[in-house]
Amino acid sequence: MKITADTGSCVASGQCVLLAPGTFDQDEETGTVVLLAEEPAPGEEDAVRQAELTCPAAAIRLTGA
Amino acid sequence: MTTTEQPPRLPFTRGNALEIAPDYEALRRQAPVSRVLTPAGDPAWLITSYEEAKEVFRDRRFGRSHPAPEQASRISYAAVQDGPSGDFESEEREHKRMRRMLAPAFSAPRMRALGDRIAELTDRCLDDLQAARDADPGAPVDLTDFLAFPLPVLVICELLGVPYEDREKFRGLSERIARMDGGEDAQAAMTEFKAYMTELAEAKRADPRPDVISDMVAVQADDPTFTDDDLARMGAGLLFAGHETTSTRIAMGTLFLLTDTARRDRFAADPEGQVAQTVEEILRLTATSGTGLLRYAHEDVEIAGTRIARGDAVLISSDAANRDAAVFADPDEFDPDRTPNVHLAFGTGAHVCIGANLARTELRTVFPKLFRRFPGLRLAVGIDDIPVRTNRVAGGVDRVPVEW
Ligand code: SF4
Repeated sequence: MKITADTGSCVASGQCVLLAPGTFDQDEETGTVVLLAEEPAPGEEDAVRQAELTCPAAAIRLTGA
Repeated sequence: MTTTEQPPRLPFTRGNALEIAPDYEALRRQAPVSRVLTPAGDPAWLITSYEEAKEVFRDRRFGRSHPAPEQASRISYAAVQDGPSGDFESEEREHKRMRRMLAPAFSAPRMRALGDRIAELTDRCLDDLQAARDADPGAPVDLTDFLAFPLPVLVICELLGVPYEDREKFRGLSERIARMDGGEDAQAAMTEFKAYMTELAEAKRADPRPDVISDMVAVQADDPTFTDDDLARMGAGLLFAGHETTSTRIAMGTLFLLTDTARRDRFAADPEGQVAQTVEEILRLTATSGTGLLRYAHEDVEIAGTRIARGDAVLISSDAANRDAAVFADPDEFDPDRTPNVHLAFGTGAHVCIGANLARTELRTVFPKLFRRFPGLRLAVGIDDIPVRTNRVAGGVDRVPVEW
C-alpha cells in the first residue's frame, strides 16, 4: 500500500494524525499534513485506510493492496 | 397537494434525547434535498441524506456569507447561526487566515501534549462528583454540573487563555446567544460577549501568554485587516463552541451508555480498548442541532437534481445524514463495532470543525475514567424524563441525574 497526501488541498484538520500518528504528522507552523513514510507504519494499515475515508479534504490517497 | 401547502417548519420534535425526529427520514424518502421553513419562518433547503450532505460540505460554491445579506433567509432569532456572517467578497480569504492562525494550536501533536492535563482535570471533576454524592448519599448527582460542563470549560479556558473564574459569566452569555427565540436579548448578550473578549485581548496584548488569544493578538499586530471586532467575534465563537458542543457530547454519551445496562457493562469491562470506536458512535448518534449547519449558495447550484439559486439558504442536517440507512446499516442502533464509521458530526471539507481532535481527545479521556471509577453508574430517572433543549442552537440536555 502506497500513500500520497496532497498538501495543497489539506485543511489541517489533523484527523489523520490522530488516527495514525506513526504515519502522519502535522507541520508545526501551518498544521498541514506531513507524510512520515510512504507506507503505513507497522500496525497502522487499518488506521490509514480509515484516514483516507475520513479526511475532510479528500487529500489522502492509497494505491496498491 | 395544493400550492398553498406550507413546507414543514424546523425544529422538528423528537421522542427523547437519544432519538432524532422521524420527520427527517420521511423527508429523505421523498428527496435528499427538501424545502423547509426555518425556525424564523423563512424558506431554506434542508439536506437529509449523507451523500448530498457530504457533497455540499465540500462544495466551495457554498459559504457562510451572502451576496445580499439583507435579503438572506433568517434561520432563527439567536445570535449564532442565525443568518449570514462574514463578507461575501473576502470570506474565503478570511476563512483561510483563520484556519492558518488556529490550526497549530488545535493540531494533533498539541492535543497529544494536552492529554495528560485533560486526564488530570478529569480526575479532579470525578473527585467532585464523588464528593457531591458523599455529601448527600440519598440524592442523585447531576453529571452535567460536575463533569459535562466543567471539564470542557476547564480545557478550553487553558487553551484560549480565559480565566476559569469567569465561567458563570460566559456560561450565561453562551446560553443567551444560542437561544433561538432570543431576539434582542441574544444580540445584547453577543455585544457583551464581544466586549468581554476585547478586554481579554487587551490584557494579552500587554502580557502575552502561550495561549490562543495571545496568538490571535500577535497575528493582528501584523495584519491591519484583522479588526478588533473580528478578533472578538472569533474569540467568543471559540469559547462558545469549545465548551457547549463537547459538554453536550459528554452528557449524551453518558446517556447512550447508561440506557442499556449490557452496553454499559460491555464498555466498563474494557474501556480503553473500546473507547475510540465508542466515541465515534456517540458522535454519530448525538443529535445536537435543531436546524443543521447553515450555508448560502454563492451561485446557482444543482444538487441531486434540485436547482438551488444563488443566495438560497441551505441547512445541512448532520444529525439526519448520520442516520442515513444508505450508508449506516440499522442507523438508529448504537453499535460501537461499526467500521468504517465515517460520520459527519464535525462536518467535512474546508469548514470541518477545527476542534474535532480536541473534542475526541477529551471524550476519549472522559469515558474510560468515568466507567473505571464508577462501573455501576446508572441513570436516576427514565430517559423520557430528561428534557431536550429544543430552542438552543447547540441542543443538548439540561441535566443527567446519576447514581451508583
Ligand atoms: S485528515 Fe486530511 S485535511 Fe486533515 S490533516 Fe490529514 S490530510 Fe490534512
